[in-house]
Amino acid sequence: MGPLIPNEIIAGNWNFLIAFVIGIGFGFVLEQAGFSSSRKLAGMFYGYDTVVLKVFFTGAITAMLGLLFFSLFDWIDLSLVYVNPTFLWSAIIGGVIMGLGFITAGFCPGTSVCAAAIGKIDAMIFIVGIFLGIFIFGESFPLLQNLFVAGDMGSPKLNQVLGISGGVLALLVILAAAIMFWIGEWAERKFPREEY
Amino acid sequence: MKTKYMNPYLAGFLLGFVLLMAFYFSGRGLGASGAVKDVLVFSMDKVAPTHTAENHYFGKYVADGANPLNNWLVYEMLGVVLGGFISGAIAGRLKLRIEHFPGISANRRLVFALIGGVLFGFGSQLGRGCTSGSALTGMAVLSLGGFITMAAIFGTAFAAAYFFKKNWIG
Amino acid sequence: MKPRNLAVGIMILLGIVIAMVPENTTKPFKLTAQQMLNAVNDGTEMVHPDLLADWLINKDPSIQLIDVRSSDEFEKFHLDQAINVPRADILSPDYREIWDQGVKFNVIYSNGSTTAHDAWMILRQLGYQNIGVLMGGLNYWTEVVMNPKSPAAILPDDEIAKYEFRKGASQALGGGSASAPATSAEIEVQKPKIVPRKAKKAPQGGC
Repeated sequence: MGPLIPNEIIAGNWNFLIAFVIGIGFGFVLEQAGFSSSRKLAGMFYGYDTVVLKVFFTGAITAMLGLLFFSLFDWIDLSLVYVNPTFLWSAIIGGVIMGLGFITAGFCPGTSVCAAAIGKIDAMIFIVGIFLGIFIFGESFPLLQNLFVAGDMGSPKLNQVLGISGGVLALLVILAAAIMFWIGEWAERKFPREEY
Repeated sequence: MKTKYMNPYLAGFLLGFVLLMAFYFSGRGLGASGAVKDVLVFSMDKVAPTHTAENHYFGKYVADGANPLNNWLVYEMLGVVLGGFISGAIAGRLKLRIEHFPGISANRRLVFALIGGVLFGFGSQLGRGCTSGSALTGMAVLSLGGFITMAAIFGTAFAAAYFFKKNWIG
Repeated sequence: MKPRNLAVGIMILLGIVIAMVPENTTKPFKLTAQQMLNAVNDGTEMVHPDLLADWLINKDPSIQLIDVRSSDEFEKFHLDQAINVPRADILSPDYREIWDQGVKFNVIYSNGSTTAHDAWMILRQLGYQNIGVLMGGLNYWTEVVMNPKSPAAILPDDEIAKYEFRKGASQALGGGSASAPATSAEIEVQKPKIVPRKAKKAPQGGC
C-alpha cells in the first residue's frame, strides 16, 4: 500500500532517484505545456492565454481525484501523505508578495527552471533574483519571525474546515474549474494574441 | 517563432499524474523554491559557515553537519532541468535568448525579471512554498494553506495586472 | 468532442462518484491469515508470570503493563503501574502511540487470558509488535506468584528454586504470606525482546 517509501515497501535509498525521475516528468510536462514562456504565463492575467488556468487546475484536480480514489481502493494511506501546514498570516502575505512577483516577472520558481533549461536568459536572471530574495528573507528573519509563525492552524484540510467530505470538496473544485475554463476560453476569443 | 505546445488539458492530466506518482512513491508532492533555498544555504555554508549556522532561519539546514543538498527537492529540480531540456530539444525550442514583449526593451525585461525573482524568493519563504509546492501540491491534498496561498498569489496578480500591462500587452 | 468538454465531463463524473462514496477509514491488516496462524502456533507472545515477576522486581523500564479490563475492574484492583485500555477501545486513535512504537514491551493482561489474547490478536494483525500476553492473566498470577504453594520436598531442585523465587517475588510485589525471604533464585530469565522500529516518521514534505 502506498506511499511506498514511507511504508518501507521500497527502500528509502530509492527516494532521491525517484525524485529525479519525477522531476524529469515534471519538467518535461511543464515545458511541453508552454510554461517555459513568461509571456504565456502572464497571459492569464490579461486574458490572451489561459494555459496556466487549464493546466494548473486540470493537474491539481487529477492528482486530487487520484489521491481520493487510491485511498478508496486502499492503494494509499492518506495519513502518511504530507499535508502542508497552514500559518494564516504568512500564507496570505507570502502569497501576495509572490503574486506581485508573478506579474512582475511572469515566472514562478518551477517554470523558471524549465525556461532556463531551454535557454531563456530572463529566466536565469529570475533565478538569481530568487536567490537574492531568499537571502534577504533569511538575513532579516529576526524581524519576520513573529509574522512567520503567526496564525498557526496546524495542517487542516479545507474540507474539514468547511465540514464536508474530501470527495464533495473535490466535486466543488471541479465545478469551479469548469466555470473558469469556460470564462477562460471566452476571454481568449475576446483578447486575441499575436504570435509569440 | 511559431511553435507547437501540447494540448493544455492533456498536459494538465500528465502533470496531475506526475504529482500523483510523487505522492504514491514518496508520500510528498512537488516543490521548487525549497531547492533554491537548499543550494543557497549550501553555498553560504561554504563561504561563511559560522554565520550560516547562527542564522535563525538557515541554521537548521546545516545543524549537526547536515548537508542541505541532501533533499528530495534538490534531486527533483535536477530532474526538472533535464526534463525541460529534453522537451525543448524535441520541440525545437532550444535557443539562448531573452523573451519579452516586443513593446519593451530586453534590458527592461531583465530588470523586471530580477525584481520579480527577488519578490518570489522572499514571498516563497514567508508563504512556505511557491506555486508548485504550496498551491498545486497543497490543492491536491486539500490543504487549507494551499488554497489560501493559491488564492493570494493569483488574486494579487490579477489585481496588479493593470499596473504592469505595459510589460506584457502595451 | 472538444478536448475541454471531454476532460471536464470526465472530471465531473469522477467528482460525483467520489463525492457520493463514503470516505475510506479502514485499517488494513498487515499480516496474512497464515502469518497470524504461525504467530499463534509459536506462542512466543505468552509471558509466564515468573518472567513478569522477575522483570517487575528488577524494575525493568522497558516493560509496560496494559490492563484491558473495564475501568471498574481496573479501579478495584490492578497491577502496579498498569495502564487501563479497555479492550473495546484498543483501536481508538488516543491509544495508538502505546502500540505504535519500538521502545517498550507491552504486556497485556486481563482476569484470564482470553480478553487479553483477543486484544493481542487484533493488534498483532495490524502489524504492531512488542506486545505480549500475561499467561493465565491475573488469576494465574495470583495463584503462582502472589500465593505460591509450597512444593513437596521430593520435587526436583529447580521447582524448589522456583518456589523460593515466587515467595520472594510475592513479598516484593505486595503479595501473600510473610515467610523467610528467598535466596537469589537461579532462574533463566530473558529480557523482553523488543523489536526496534523507527517511529513512523510524520510525513515530510514542503518547500
